[in-house]
Amino acid sequence: MSYVYAVARLRGMENHILDTAFFSRLMDSAGIDDAIKALGETSYSQWISQNGNNFDKAIDSEMLSTCEELKTFVPDKELLDIFRLPYDFHNVKVLLKGLFKVRGGESEGRRYDLLSKLGTINTEELMNAIETEEYGFLPYGLTDLIPQCWQLWDATKNAQAVELLIDHQMFSAMLKVAEDLKMPDVIHWVRSRIDAENLRSAVRLSRMKYDSPKALPFFHEGGTVRPDDMAKLLSEPQETWSRLLSHTDIGGVLSALQDSGDIKTSLSDVSKSLDDYLIKVLENAKYSMDAPANVLLYLLTKEAETRNMRVALVCVAGGLDREFGRRLLSNVR
Amino acid sequence: MEHLGLSLALFGAALAAALAGIGSAIGIGVAGGAAAGVMTEDPNKFGSCLILQALPGTQGIYGLLIAFFVLNKLGLLGGGGAAALTWNQGLQILASCLPIAVVGWYSAIWQGKTSAASIQMISKKPEAMGKAIILPAMVETYAVLALLTSILMLMGVQVG
Repeated sequence: MSYVYAVARLRGMENHILDTAFFSRLMDSAGIDDAIKALGETSYSQWISQNGNNFDKAIDSEMLSTCEELKTFVPDKELLDIFRLPYDFHNVKVLLKGLFKVRGGESEGRRYDLLSKLGTINTEELMNAIETEEYGFLPYGLTDLIPQCWQLWDATKNAQAVELLIDHQMFSAMLKVAEDLKMPDVIHWVRSRIDAENLRSAVRLSRMKYDSPKALPFFHEGGTVRPDDMAKLLSEPQETWSRLLSHTDIGGVLSALQDSGDIKTSLSDVSKSLDDYLIKVLENAKYSMDAPANVLLYLLTKEAETRNMRVALVCVAGGLDREFGRRLLSNVR
Repeated sequence: MEHLGLSLALFGAALAAALAGIGSAIGIGVAGGAAAGVMTEDPNKFGSCLILQALPGTQGIYGLLIAFFVLNKLGLLGGGGAAALTWNQGLQILASCLPIAVVGWYSAIWQGKTSAASIQMISKKPEAMGKAIILPAMVETYAVLALLTSILMLMGVQVG
């Protein structure tokens, strides 16, 4: 299937992505009214006025509208599913955790406000399926996964273990969709995404003083680095991690973080570097006029833009430290 | 067997027009897809896109030119009847048509791809239109060389 039209259209759409300089200016706004005025000429303004200054909803609406637009011209819808599928699993987590609480006796357990419309499954249908325990139509292995989650919850009452089980299935489903597409760049990106998630977990678990055997179940299969090797990092000082992973692509992220000392200071810096890394993995697609990976690249860039928007608006509305906010901005363009 | 020479020569003319034309159609189609994508977002780029989309069309014209050249050489255009050709002369004309037929076919497709990439380039950098034209024009060089080869070979074939 030819991606010439799709990629050319994405190139045109890229011109409307807001750059880091814009967000820097946005953060210089005196107050939220000035920030909204600055957003007047962007595509966000329509959502802000529709959602009555609810920024979170406005930002989600912009992302959803982008996904819907791409659906109209991207030849393989599964490519969009790879991007949207994590939101389905996020929704499953929200719904199950809510039900765990309700069954535990908490009347306010359900948090439907945390559901994301960015998933591929309609949130109402997902809600009904989980509440009525009719999972038959659910894709991505959810039909079998949700009963397993209930069994695990009944046996352990451990929400973290259930989340982990859901995450394992999510990455396995992402990899399967990518492999079915038979697009090497996309498969490589999914595997890099698993590496990034595993590395994020390694940094987090290291701070929580987990040792290798205890940490092993937290790592997902399918990445370019095996879970065993990721777990082994935890028995070594963090300074040596970049050397231990030097043979992998993700080792470069660690080297850069260790050079700046950020790996020890802030988990948000690690997360930002890993998000930037996942965009860099796809950057070669920029030089192709018909590489399908350009679709994922655009979606990730747009997602980085929405993340920047959230950071900037939270900083302005909450009067937070602007310098800290600037550090969190991703370099989208 | 008395018309084999004429048949071979006409087959050559048909190949030149058809293969180069097919290549141009594919090339223009690829560039057109990119142009449509860019213009969906910015219809003001129609002029620039049209120029770049038209570039792979020249091979089809070169193929047609060679076909006319052959028909003229055979005396089929003036209505005076076809010249008598031996099979050897017919084969020479067929061979003369092959450079533009084959090179025209391939170069038009690749020029279309380069044009599509250039169209994507001007979508982000409209000021680089000059450079965007030069890149696919480089591919054109080889179609022109093939045209020249076909013409020189045809001129060397003695008919009648």
